Parts: sequence; C-alpha cells; structure tokens
Amino acid sequence: MATATDKPRGAQTHPDIRSYGEVNEDIIRMLDRPGKWWWILLGMSIAGIGLLAFSWGNQIINGIGVSGLNTPVGWGAYITTFVFWVGIAHSGTLISAVLFLFRARWRQSIYRAAEAMTVFAVMTAGLYPLIHLGRVWHAYWLFPYPNQRLLWPNFASPLVWDVFAVTTYFTVSSLFFLLGLIPDIAAARDQAKQGTLRHRLYKSISFGWRGTDRQWHHFGKAYLYLAALATPLVLSVHSVVSWDFAMSIVPGWTTTIFAPYFVAGAIFSGIAMVITILVPIRKIFGLEKYLTTKHFDAMAKLCLVTGLVVFYAYLTEFFMAWYSGKPSERAVFWNRAFGHYWWATWIMLTCNGIIPIMLWFKRVRYSIPALFVITLFINIGMWFERYVIIVTSLSHEYIPFAWNVYRPSATEMGIVIGTFGWFFFWMLLFIRLLPPVAIAEIKEVLPPPFRPKKKEVAR
Amino acid sequence: MSDGMKRRDFLKVLGVSGAGAGLVGCSTDQVEKLMPYVVPPEDITPGVATWYSSVCGECSAGCGTWVKTREGRAIKVEGNPNHPVSQGALCARGHASLQGLYNPDRLREPMRRTEAGFQAISWDEAESLLLERVRGAGNRMALVTGKEGPTLSALLDGIVETAGGRRVEYEPLSEAPLREATRLAFGRDIIPTYRMEDADLIVSFGADFLETWLSPVEFGRSFAQAHSVDSDDNKGRFVFLSPRLSLTGQNADEWFPIQPGSEAVVALAMANVLVRNGADAGPYADLLQAYTPDAVSQDAGIPASTIEELAIAFGDTTSLALGPGVAAQGANATATNLAVLVLNAVAGNVGSTLDVATENRAASSASHRDLTEVVEAMGRGGLEAVIFYGTNPAYALPPGAGFGEALGSVGFKVAVTQQMDETAALCDLVLPARHPMEDWGDANPRPGLWSIRQPTMVPVPHFDSRPVGDVFLTLARGLGHDVPDGSFHQYLQARWEERHAAAGAPGGDFDAFWREALRTGVVTLAEDVPSQPALQAPDRALTFERPSLDGDGMALVVYPSSRLGDGRGANKPWLQEMPDPVTKLAWHSWVEMHPDTVEEMGLRRGDMVRVRSPHGEVEVPVYPYPGVRTDTVAISMGAGHEDYGRYADGKGVNPMRLLPGSAEEVAGSLNHLAVRVQVEPTGQWRRMATIEGSSDQFDRPIAPAVQIDDLREGIVDADRYPLYQLQGGGGFLPVPMPEQGEPQDFPPPFAQYGDYDPEQHPRWAMAIDLDKCTGCSACVVACQAENNVASVGEDQLMMGRDLHWIRMDRYFEEVDASRPGPVDVRFLPMICQHCGTAPCEPVCPVYAAYHTPDGLNGQVYNRCVGTRYCANNCPYKVRVFNWHRFSDVPEPLNWQYNPDVTVRDEGVMEKCSFCVQRIRERQNQATVESRVLGPDEVIPACQQSCPAEAIVFGNIRDPESRVAQVSQDQRTYRVYDILINTQPAVNYLRKVTFHPVTSIEV
Repeated sequence: MATATDKPRGAQTHPDIRSYGEVNEDIIRMLDRPGKWWWILLGMSIAGIGLLAFSWGNQIINGIGVSGLNTPVGWGAYITTFVFWVGIAHSGTLISAVLFLFRARWRQSIYRAAEAMTVFAVMTAGLYPLIHLGRVWHAYWLFPYPNQRLLWPNFASPLVWDVFAVTTYFTVSSLFFLLGLIPDIAAARDQAKQGTLRHRLYKSISFGWRGTDRQWHHFGKAYLYLAALATPLVLSVHSVVSWDFAMSIVPGWTTTIFAPYFVAGAIFSGIAMVITILVPIRKIFGLEKYLTTKHFDAMAKLCLVTGLVVFYAYLTEFFMAWYSGKPSERAVFWNRAFGHYWWATWIMLTCNGIIPIMLWFKRVRYSIPALFVITLFINIGMWFERYVIIVTSLSHEYIPFAWNVYRPSATEMGIVIGTFGWFFFWMLLFIRLLPPVAIAEIKEVLPPPFRPKKKEVAR
Repeated sequence: MSDGMKRRDFLKVLGVSGAGAGLVGCSTDQVEKLMPYVVPPEDITPGVATWYSSVCGECSAGCGTWVKTREGRAIKVEGNPNHPVSQGALCARGHASLQGLYNPDRLREPMRRTEAGFQAISWDEAESLLLERVRGAGNRMALVTGKEGPTLSALLDGIVETAGGRRVEYEPLSEAPLREATRLAFGRDIIPTYRMEDADLIVSFGADFLETWLSPVEFGRSFAQAHSVDSDDNKGRFVFLSPRLSLTGQNADEWFPIQPGSEAVVALAMANVLVRNGADAGPYADLLQAYTPDAVSQDAGIPASTIEELAIAFGDTTSLALGPGVAAQGANATATNLAVLVLNAVAGNVGSTLDVATENRAASSASHRDLTEVVEAMGRGGLEAVIFYGTNPAYALPPGAGFGEALGSVGFKVAVTQQMDETAALCDLVLPARHPMEDWGDANPRPGLWSIRQPTMVPVPHFDSRPVGDVFLTLARGLGHDVPDGSFHQYLQARWEERHAAAGAPGGDFDAFWREALRTGVVTLAEDVPSQPALQAPDRALTFERPSLDGDGMALVVYPSSRLGDGRGANKPWLQEMPDPVTKLAWHSWVEMHPDTVEEMGLRRGDMVRVRSPHGEVEVPVYPYPGVRTDTVAISMGAGHEDYGRYADGKGVNPMRLLPGSAEEVAGSLNHLAVRVQVEPTGQWRRMATIEGSSDQFDRPIAPAVQIDDLREGIVDADRYPLYQLQGGGGFLPVPMPEQGEPQDFPPPFAQYGDYDPEQHPRWAMAIDLDKCTGCSACVVACQAENNVASVGEDQLMMGRDLHWIRMDRYFEEVDASRPGPVDVRFLPMICQHCGTAPCEPVCPVYAAYHTPDGLNGQVYNRCVGTRYCANNCPYKVRVFNWHRFSDVPEPLNWQYNPDVTVRDEGVMEKCSFCVQRIRERQNQATVESRVLGPDEVIPACQQSCPAEAIVFGNIRDPESRVAQVSQDQRTYRVYDILINTQPAVNYLRKVTFHPVTSIEV
C-alpha cells in the first residue's frame, strides 16, 4: 500500500488516501447502485415503519390504554425512548459544531454521518411527544398559535419548553446539516447523469454551488456562525429535556444535577451510537481509508470521558438520596437498586459504568469489533438509564399505598421497535442519496496534489 | 354612520348563516325532533333536580332515602336526613341501587321456558299461565320471597292463606339465631335494638356492624358517636373478638383473635367474672359457674387474664356487647347470641345500650331450615308450583342442600325478578319485576316508624316490567282472595289508611298524612312499646362449646361481603369495582390467609390455591392478610355468579360451595362456620385487581395518629401549620403573614395573578376526621354516582387504572393475630387536595389544570391533551386518567349520568373537583335568592354520604364555617405539606389511639 509519507499533513488523519479524485470516487461510489444488504436493511426498516404505523394506529383507535401505563406510572417506554433519541441526537451537533469550533480535525470523516444521525434522531424523538399523548389529535394545542380564544400554552410548563427546545434543535441541526452538504452535493450533482431524478434533486439542494471563492467565503462564514449557534443547543436541548423531570417534585426526578448529567449522558449515548452505526458502514463500503482506527480511538476517548461523568452522576444521585435524609427519596433509590426494577438498574450500571471501563485500554479502543460490542452495550444501557429514571421513580413515590409497577405492552414495544425502523429508514436513504462522508472537508486535510488529474469540481 | 352593514347586523347574519351551515353539516341518518315542553310537567323544571323520598331496597336495614331525579330520571340516591335509620347517610350498596335500576341485564319482557330455551311472551299470556298453573297446584304451592315490606308481605301471606300452600321467607344473611336467643333469654320473639352511641366500651363478638350486620348505616353513625374522640378528649373503646378482622374489626382498638366458634364461651366467661364481682345473672348464675376465664382460656386461645380485664372494664362502664354476626354462625349460633345477650344483661346494659323492648323489624330473621323443608318437599315431588320473588336460593344455598335437583321435580316454577339470576334460570316462567325505585312499597323498620317507598320515575322504558304488587294482586284475585280492585298503589294506600285510622288518625285527615309521608319519607304511627324484660331461663338446652368442624385443615370463615352483600350486589359495576375495604381487591374473589401461613406453604400473594372442604372446592388467589388467625382462612360471600348478568358472571368464586348446607339446631340458621379446608397450591399465579400498593406507610407522615393520653396533655406537634396560611391561600392573594420570612409562608405575592378581588372569593376546604372514618367506602361510590366516574373493569384494575376520585388508603400499623392486643389500622380517604401551590398546575402545557379564584384546583377536560404530566407530579396520586372510553356504558346504564357533570372521554385526566357543580348550584341559588351563601351550605357527595360524619366541607376563610372550626383542632395536619409545601386544602384530623404510637414528625 502506498502511503503518502512525503505528505506529512495528510498522513496524520488519512494515510491511505492518495488523491482528491480518489475521495470523490470513493464517496460518490457509495451513492451508486445499492447492494443486497442495503435492500435487506431497507426492507427491515420499512417493516419497522409498518409496525410503527400499525401499533400507533391501534393506539389512536383504541386509546392509549393499549399501552401498559397506569396511574402512578404515567410515563414509560414512550418517554424513555423519546429521551433516548434526543440523547442520540446530541453527538451530531457536538461533533460537527463544537469540535469544529475547537478545530479537532478528526471530526472530518465522521461528522456528516453524525449530523445525519442527529437530524433523523430528532425526527424520531419528535414522534414520541405525539405518541404518548392521550389525545394526539389535539397536539397542536401545545404550540402558541393565534386563536380566537386567546389561549396560549402554559409557558411555565417544561413540556412547552420541550416543544421549543426540540423544534429549535431540529431546525438548527437540519440547517447545519444541509449547509455542510452543499459543496459535496454539488460534487455528486456533477457526477450524476443529467436529467435523472437524482441529478435534479442534487441540483436543487446544492443551490447552484460552483465552488467559487466567493461562495467558499460565504459558506465558511455561514458554517462558522451556525456552528456557534448550534453549540449552545448541545447543552440546552438536553438540559431542557432533563427539566421535564428535574422541575417536578417526583422523588428520583427532582434533582439539580439533572441538566449536566443528562447532557453528558446524551453525548455518551450519541457518540456510542455514531460508533455503532459507522462500524458497519465502514465495513460495507470499504471506508477504512477514511474512517481510520484513529478516528475510532478519538471517539472512544470521548465516550470514555462522558461515560465517566455519567457514572459519577449515578453515584452522586445515590449519595445525595442518602444524604438528603428524605425517606421518600431514599426509598426510591433503594427501590431502584434492590426493588422490583433492580434488573433494569443493574443493566444500566453495568452497561454504562462497568463495560466502558475497558475503553481505558488502547488495544480496545483500536479494536473495531470490541468498540462495536461495547457501544452496543452502551446504547442498551442508556435506554435503560432513562427507563430506570422514569419508571422506578414514578412507581415508588410519596404515597406507598399508591405504588404500582408498570410493564410495557406489546403495542409499546411495537412502537419502540418501529421507530428504530423509522430512524434506520432515513439513515439508509441518507447513505444512498447524500455523500455520507464530507468530501470537501476530507480534502482540506489531505496534502494538496502536485497537479490535477482532471478538473476538480469541488476545489 | 356609514351606510354599510352595521357590526351588529353582520354578526346576526353571521350567526344565522353559521347556524344554518351547522344544521346542514350535522345531519345524521336519524332525524331527531327536539320537542320543548309545551305543557311542562308540574314537578319538572329543566335543569333543576326533583327529589323523592323512598326506601332503599338493597338490604333489609330499611334506610330511608331521597332520590334525586333530573328531567324525570333518577340519577342519585342519598340518605333521608329525616329518617332515624339512615340519618341522611347511605352505604355503598345503597348508592349502587341505581345501577340495579338501569342495569342493562334487566329482564326486558316476560319469558317462558320452551324446548329452545326462554322465549318472550306477552304479559297477558304470562299472567293467565301463572294463574292457571298456580290454581291447579292448589295447596301444593310454595311462595319463596325475601324480606318484604309489611304491606306486600301481608298480601303474600293472604294469598297462601286463601289458596293454600306455604310462604317462606329466605334471606341468606339472616339473624334467626339472634331472634331465637332473644326469645330464649328475654321471652321476646324479636331482634333487639342497640344504642351504640351511649356506650363507652363496645365489645363485638365478630359482629360486622359497619358492613352488613343488621343496620350498617345506622351503626356507622352511632359507632362514630361512641368511638370518636369528643371535645373533652373522651373516646369510647372498642374491642373486637373474632378469628378474622373484618372492616369493623379494623376499627377496633383491641383485637382478641379468638378461636373460631369460641365467642360463646368467652362471653360466658366475661359474665362469670362480672357475677363473681357481684353482678346478678338471674337464672343464668348456675350456668355461668362452669365458665371461668381459666376454663375457657384454652378453648378460646387467649389468656384468662385478658378475659378478666376486659370483663372488669365491661362491668365498670356503660358497655355494649354485640354479636356474633353471620360469619360466626355455627352449630352454636343461638347459644352464642344468647351468651352475648346474657353478658349484656349481667353488665346491666338492658334498657340502656341494649333495648330489648324495641323491635328491629327491618332485619331478616328468616330461617334456613324453613327453606330446606321446602326443598325437601320439592324433592319428594310434593310441590306443584313454586314462585320466587326477591331471593336467589339457587345461588345462595350450598350445593349440599340439593336445591337445583329438587327444583327440577316441581311442575311449574315461576320467578318474579328484576334480572335473570341463577334461580330464575331454572324456572319455567320469568316475570320482569319493577325495581324498588319504580315501584310502590313501604317499610316499618321500628315500632311506630313507617316509610313509603314511592316510584321515583316512570319505569325505565327499556324493560317491560310490572309492579310486583300488581302481579300478586292479579294472582290473588284469580285465586279468589278477597282483595279490592285497583292497583297495588291503591291497595297500599288503603292499608295505610287503615293503619292511620287504627293509630288514632295522627295529623288529621288521611290525605294530608299521606302527602306528608310521601314528602318527608317517614312518619310515626303511635305504637305501644313494652317495658324492658328481665332475663329468664331458656326453655331448651343449648350447647355453648365450640362446634366441631367438618374435615381437617384450617377453619374456614365465610363472611358476608360489605360490597356485594349476600351476592345480590354483584351485578352492579360500582360495587364490583369498589375495592374491598379490608383487602382492597375488587372484581374477583380471594382467600385471606395469614402471611406466616402463606410463607410456610411457600406461597406468595396472588398464587392460585385450591381450597378444598369435604363438600366442595374452589380456586382462588391468596391474599396474605395479617388480620386472620394462622389456623384460619376466610373467603367472602357474594361472588362467583353464573347467571346474573355481564358484570357478575364468572367473577370470583362462591364460597357457599364449600359449606355442607346444614342448619343450626335451635334457630335453623345456615351453619357458616362449619368446615375445615385444605389449601393446596395449583402452581398458577394471577395478577390481582387491587388498588393497594403498600399497606406500610414506612414511617412517612401520611396517616399519623396520636395516643389519647398525649392528646389530653396537648402533645400534638401539629401547630406548625397555622390556619391563616390556608385561609390566605387559594393562589390569588398573598398570605396574611404576621411576620415575614417563613419559607412555608407561600405563595409569595407574585403568585397572585388575575384580577380577582380576594374578598369576593371563598377558599373551599375540607376537613376529614380520621378518628371517625371507618373506611367503609360509601363515599367512594357516592362520588362515583355524583361525578359520573366510570368503572374500568377487572383487567384495567389489574393494570392499576382505577378511576375512583376517592382512594381509600389503608395502612396496617399494628395487626397481630398471635395475641390479644392493640390493633391499629389507619384509613385515609385520599382525594384531590386542592393544593394552594398545586404541583399539577404549572406542569400542564395547555392550562387544563388551573387554579380557580376560590382556591379550587380545576381540571378542564376539554382542554386536556393527555400528557399525564400532572398525574406524575401529583404527590398524592389522586389524578386518574381515562385510558380508554370507559364512559361508554351499555344503555340504559348511561341514564344514570349526572347532567351537571361532564362525561369524560378517553385520553383526559380527571380528579376530585370538590363537587364544583354543587358549589355552583348553591352559589347560583344564593344569588337567585339575593343572599349571601351560608358557610356550610355546600355539601359534597362524599360528606353527604358519610355515615360517620367524618367529612366537613366549606369556606375555610369564613371563621363561622364548620370546616374552619374543625380545622382548628389540635389533631389537624395536612399530608406532606411541610415537605413539599403543597398547601393542601384538605385538613386531616389524626386518628386517636389508646396504645402508644410511634411519633412521626409531620
């Protein structure tokens, strides 16, 4: 394998890439005729969407009673999965915006996929506030729309904050995603056959990108500003989501560490999900040159750091429950660890606290299969984290006589599984339709060619 | 002015065209004509309720009721405050009588059995068939009825007198042994009257007088008067002796878990102690000699010293012994009743708390043996025709009685019944009877005390029913009985006229008297009451010793259900869904076993077990209950129907299948305490339909208590919440703070929003005295009736989705079946606390939960989108959610809905509204009458219904109001207020105990 040893700048990140043209070819090749696996996965995703439609339809027709929710446990798998997806949505903006501002160059290869994941994860998360409503047909009442009765939503309610936080996040992350795509779509446009649907699509969303200096100048500015705009959202969105719980008076919810705790957890789960998704993409499309083990090492380190923060938060929660001296608070945490849902709590602690310890080892961080397995566990653990927080707290509140347990119903499981189908449906369309690795930005970090082999489009 | 269209005209046009569009748009397949009252009925004002006085027909206590009707439909039953039995209160079963009236499973037309099952026939055919066959039967006819009112009863007796045959009264819950014992001990063949309110020490030998015994509503009130702490910090003591702690027992101060069947010897031993201390036992002195406390201690399973102490206390104060009740009726039932009466007599209670002169005429003393004789006659082929009315022996009799087979050999069986039941299903002709609320009747619960049961509405048109009296009048005429022409209404009126004349025509002419009787629901017709008799020697031998029980294993207690009674309540979803006051289970049956026994057998709560007696077996889930002896198990009556409508069939098991069906020798009552059972695990488990999470309050300040000694010394740490805080609350004005800066002095000034003048608005609040509350759960069902609270069914309840606005929390503080000693069960009716700083309000994204200017925590159903955040954030867990469209009930059950209260759709949250419709109704009434609303004028449904008068409601800002005065009590506390600063508007008054309680800082 010929390495560009004479080009030390590029050697740092992508030692195996030889030329700009190769980048174009490799990435845009991914948009060609899909393989068998893609169709199988797409079929499974569409089946998942079908399951979602069926389960949700069943719930709308027969009432939310088809879920397993009950009187003390008013929120269960739906809100758990909502928070899970909002958490997943965090890594994209973190990687693209925050790491951009910090000039962490290893983000170039992964940020596009992470951003796409963000947008689709928010789209998935956004379904849940609708799904969990008793009367979803009145969901628009949560928006401040002008109406004759001068009725407004209750701006004191964290749920209304949620509406704004999530819609804002969706707007900004979509804009950021689409903006970053423009140069690469232009590259894809130029390689697509004239007159095809694909060409027309690329033509419309590349907004006439020609790669002029002036365009690059504006692009750079816009990207920087949007990155600056998106950065606070990384912190704010999951803080607001955490306030759904922290602003209440439910023992196990009402704690001030929730905002940082949730943000760290969101990044933790988001990065883990990025790794989980990138490993098969890298394998299937042969992107080893672009997604090197160094990239995975960097992501694993971020995972480790946030994982430690999260684990620390778990311990803090338990400590504070004891230290508060409040019987109801103590009982909730005792119940978490040893009560009816002990298994969920121990899954959470094992997956998020114990298993990530392995990331301390460099050999693990450089082993793609090990990372894949570990991040899968983290994904599972983070889902259970939200389940534990929501369900165990609600099931064991102030009045012992009203305690009860909750078990998700088949409909709820159908919806939860179905939304994974919904998410991966968009993800699969994305890797077929849009360049999943940022062509232009990879080129930024590659050594400049001696002479162009052919006319470069993007630069 | 411009020439264009004026704004007003524009609006008119808009309105008219809009209405037109609406009319067109709302076309349905069926064109409905809305007809206004052209000539309005005299007593119906649309929107205003009309009340009729009546008599409750659900059990034989004879409570006077007021039935609320709106636009001609009965929608609510309340106790008649003029009536000395109900005194304005009503039990859960009384409330649920409405669901009998509107039960969708009521018979729709007369039916005759053919080869192909029951076939509808016309009333004319049915009546001629009835007459023909009964006439043909001659004196080979039996008339089996329940306990009926005096006039109907006389008519029925007249029929058998004329036509021959036999009339038998049959009630499964019968006090025949008490009546026989009273005859033996005092020479009076009556059921005596108890004056519990005057007693300082009540000793119940298993009588569940708060649930089913004789007259639960009346006793609920008198027990509260006797037992709750008064303004001088005095409180009557209550000791319960029984192998199982019933709801009544849970209200006791001490529980002696005696051996099943040993009630008699304990009572005799107590009398023995009193005689030893100088009391006079008259002719019983010799008998009592043998029953020293030492002699019975072994048999009863409690120490002799305990019996001695109790006896001495019993002799020293105004006391009353009660018992033993249906569940304890065994082979020594009459002897036990006699022993308890003798104990009362020896203690000098006759004439003071025990009134043997005044007869309780309402309670049934039907003898089981009378019915078994009829069954035998049927089996022999000695009967040609049997008519059943108001009783269901096919369900209530143990299979050993052989009722079903015997009935098969009767030529012609008729059931006059409101609804198909197990007995009617075996009959050849089934006649739909009117519900008591549609029919005429009367009651004579006490000497001289008379009530008329008048129809409160036009018969429910879905059912082609006829008045029972008319059916029997027609039959009587056909059989040649000399009865005047006309309806039973006229017949009843004629009988009343005779009685009125015989009593010396009180109140002038009869018409006025009759109208007064209809209006008030209760009249007195003077009647001589004899003086209190003295003890006399029994004219027959009695066995007081514990009866031997069939089989081996654990003793089985079969007790009447406080929800379903003897089983006739099982067709009413309100009662099925009402959590049992003892176990908090609903819809299905269970077997109560002591937790130690359960553990020993390796079982857990909910494990299905086979309970096997020598006579039968049933499969039920285990409920570990510390209030039952380790060698005893208990199953409730009333469930396990097979043919009693959709709400009853297949729900639970009928424990009568385990009993031998033998009758007690003296009074002929059914032996309830008769068998021992084997309990075998089946390996199955079921999720139970319960509202109970944990019955341990884990030292949390939810239902604290205070020992009476501490109370007398004023040691109640309750003063940390000055009342002014609550009076200032309501969320609309700053708290009038004497000094600034206390963190609990919320809400802060910025919490005042809206342009309301605080002086204009009351602050609605409630006070609940937990020392009075008996946990009977009448309020739960009253609230359901008033507020259109739906029933959710067994499956939904198993998931924890009950919709009750009142959750009767029950915590076991001290329940020990191993020794006689204190028992402490705390009841806490948990309703929406209408917090001043309500956690549910700020979290609602759409303002469906909001605060009203008068301090109510409002819930706008139509605005609710169903996020359930409010319920999550409610620390009291009183918000309930409509998971499905539970309000969609089969016609005509929906006729019961209160038109003043929204019927909730699926997907919305609901909760207690403090009966806001009643508040507004009273306020509007006051406005119409141009006066200020009185402080205690608004009475919510729960307060109205409470037999113990534990609930007080009113404007707490008015110092004259009862709620403000009651809330000044040193026992007052508010649940969790100090911890989470919710400022609830419900003030609870601690329970008062005789034993020391662990102090929980509130």
